[in-house]
Amino acid sequence: MKPPLSRELQLLLRALSAPLDTDITTWERLLRLARMTALHGRLAAANRDNPTLPAPVRRHLLSAERVCAFNNQMLRAELTELAALCDGSFPVLVVKGGAYALQGQRFARGRFVSDVDLLVPRDHLRAMEQGLRAAGWVPAQLDPYDERYYRDWSHETPPMRFPGRFLEVDLHHAITPVTGSLCFDPAQLFDASVLLADSPFRVLSAEDQVLHACVHCFQDGDLALRVREVVDIDGLVRAAATQDGFWKRLLERAGQLGLQLPLWYGLHFAHAWMETPLAPGALDALPGPSTLSRSLMDRLVPLAMLPHDPDHPPPAPVRVARLAMLARYHLQRMPPSMLVPHLARKAALRLRGRFTRTPAQKTESQP
Amino acid sequence: MRRSHRMFDLGAARIAVRSPIESFHQQLDLVYRDYGEEDPAGFADVRVALLPGHPLRLWKRQIALWSEGSRPFEPYPVGSGLPLFEWGGNWLLAQRLNAYLLLHAGVLARNDRALILPAAPGSGKSTLTCALHLAGWRFLSDEFGVLDPDSGDLLPLLKPAALKNRSIGIIGQHPRARLGPVFHGTRKGDVAHFVPLRDSIADRHRPARPRLIIFPRFRDGAALCCTPIHTADAAMRLGLNSFNYRTLGTVGFDAVVRLARATRAFELEYGDLSAAIAHIDALFAEHA
Repeated sequence: MKPPLSRELQLLLRALSAPLDTDITTWERLLRLARMTALHGRLAAANRDNPTLPAPVRRHLLSAERVCAFNNQMLRAELTELAALCDGSFPVLVVKGGAYALQGQRFARGRFVSDVDLLVPRDHLRAMEQGLRAAGWVPAQLDPYDERYYRDWSHETPPMRFPGRFLEVDLHHAITPVTGSLCFDPAQLFDASVLLADSPFRVLSAEDQVLHACVHCFQDGDLALRVREVVDIDGLVRAAATQDGFWKRLLERAGQLGLQLPLWYGLHFAHAWMETPLAPGALDALPGPSTLSRSLMDRLVPLAMLPHDPDHPPPAPVRVARLAMLARYHLQRMPPSMLVPHLARKAALRLRGRFTRTPAQKTESQP
Repeated sequence: MRRSHRMFDLGAARIAVRSPIESFHQQLDLVYRDYGEEDPAGFADVRVALLPGHPLRLWKRQIALWSEGSRPFEPYPVGSGLPLFEWGGNWLLAQRLNAYLLLHAGVLARNDRALILPAAPGSGKSTLTCALHLAGWRFLSDEFGVLDPDSGDLLPLLKPAALKNRSIGIIGQHPRARLGPVFHGTRKGDVAHFVPLRDSIADRHRPARPRLIIFPRFRDGAALCCTPIHTADAAMRLGLNSFNYRTLGTVGFDAVVRLARATRAFELEYGDLSAAIAHIDALFAEHA
């Protein structure tokens, strides 16, 4: 069974990997849907040499391509600076977008990154953080509560940025929240990691990259408009599936790390939306969700992750689905005994902020 | 209640907007009357909706700009639809027109030869642009100087010019000037929108060749002072006065260098508008 996709979304997702020939009205809709989901860079990369593009569409894709090239250059510059801090005394893994770019993954063409994610062993997290500070990176200003949230309950340090540069650096010591139900010993990730040629960085093994993308998508964050995470899973699986024995290793690894459920969801939605080729019986081999969870997720995930009609504010079912997915995320991240005080405190702070401050205008520094 | 979009052709880009708020449509009618309206089903570079901030709010009602299903800015008071549309539209255009180098500049032309006025906010650029236009120059843009890096031409992008505070009176007193309603107490003080004259709107698809660059700076009581700017310096200043110079990378660098080489550049400090116009006319006659 496949959760159905609208014709527009089918066109959009297909046009991320192959040139599309359609009329200008459809193109305008696709451009808008792609911008909503930050997929416009990939749309541009796949249609770069498409001779059928109407002139205004070509202009918009060129615009997206340039923004993306700049983003990529900032990523590479940041990684070059960070490489100087890796002295080889402990492994430093680049994960997510940074890794895809350094590996030259095909699906990384046109992919925007919002930050640079590094994974280091927990014992060396402080050393790495101090190295960054000594070299000029500055951590985000946080109140003591948020600071403690990051330190004790999260799997990353507060984001750091080098003044004047564009991308933040996030230091992680695990790929799942330490308080969550999917928590496992990240040492296994380092053991299986792979050294990159001409670089001091390492990356996760191909199987672990797929698992990380699935965890990140279905367990670690807000799902609103995040269909691009599924596009990543599709790209990773397609790239890795050319290696002998990939599927067997992937399924075994998911069992070892206890990540079968996120993998099931990742493969399920990648197959449904991106027609990702799966090994025969791969989904059945995984202990998937219960029938109830599955039918709920089949209803809620498309509403939350896929773009809605760009002409209108998000309709009520979309808002409900996003809220439900956010609640699910929080519940998985920490047990209710920690979650309730955490959210209560956040709500109280927000309320207090409303009375002590005039509502801040959103940023207008960049026109 | 109007349900469909209204589409305006600004030259280098087209912007479509829909709104159920009648006062906003009246403001649009005043400022965009001479633009005519395009088929709303056609291609729009920016397509937005201006909707009530919160339908249940009865007191201090607001208007919010929606773009692609999200609200990129805080809402404005319900009567300030036009400033929100203009400001939000500019912001969105600046995100999407990276096929071009976008200068923060007024652009005018005589016989398709362009004068570029790049300037930081507060330097009197809009006032000078509108005054030159009323003195006979063709108006290409006030906010965005749109440079096509392929042809090296400047493309018109005819947004109404947002005049602030004292400029409203200075430009508004001209017999041919047509201004939209004055919005008091916005974040930038009082704002009113100057409508370009009909001939310029009719020529909105006619590019112009860059010839003269003037970096203007208005200072109360200043004597007119005009200094030539070296080509390399002009190129760097053009980059600084651009919305997307960094984003464009080498395309942006090549574009500003080519532009600086194709033009003469001056810095002009002035305290008297008509003296500045006379001086610019003379410079242009000499160098363009």
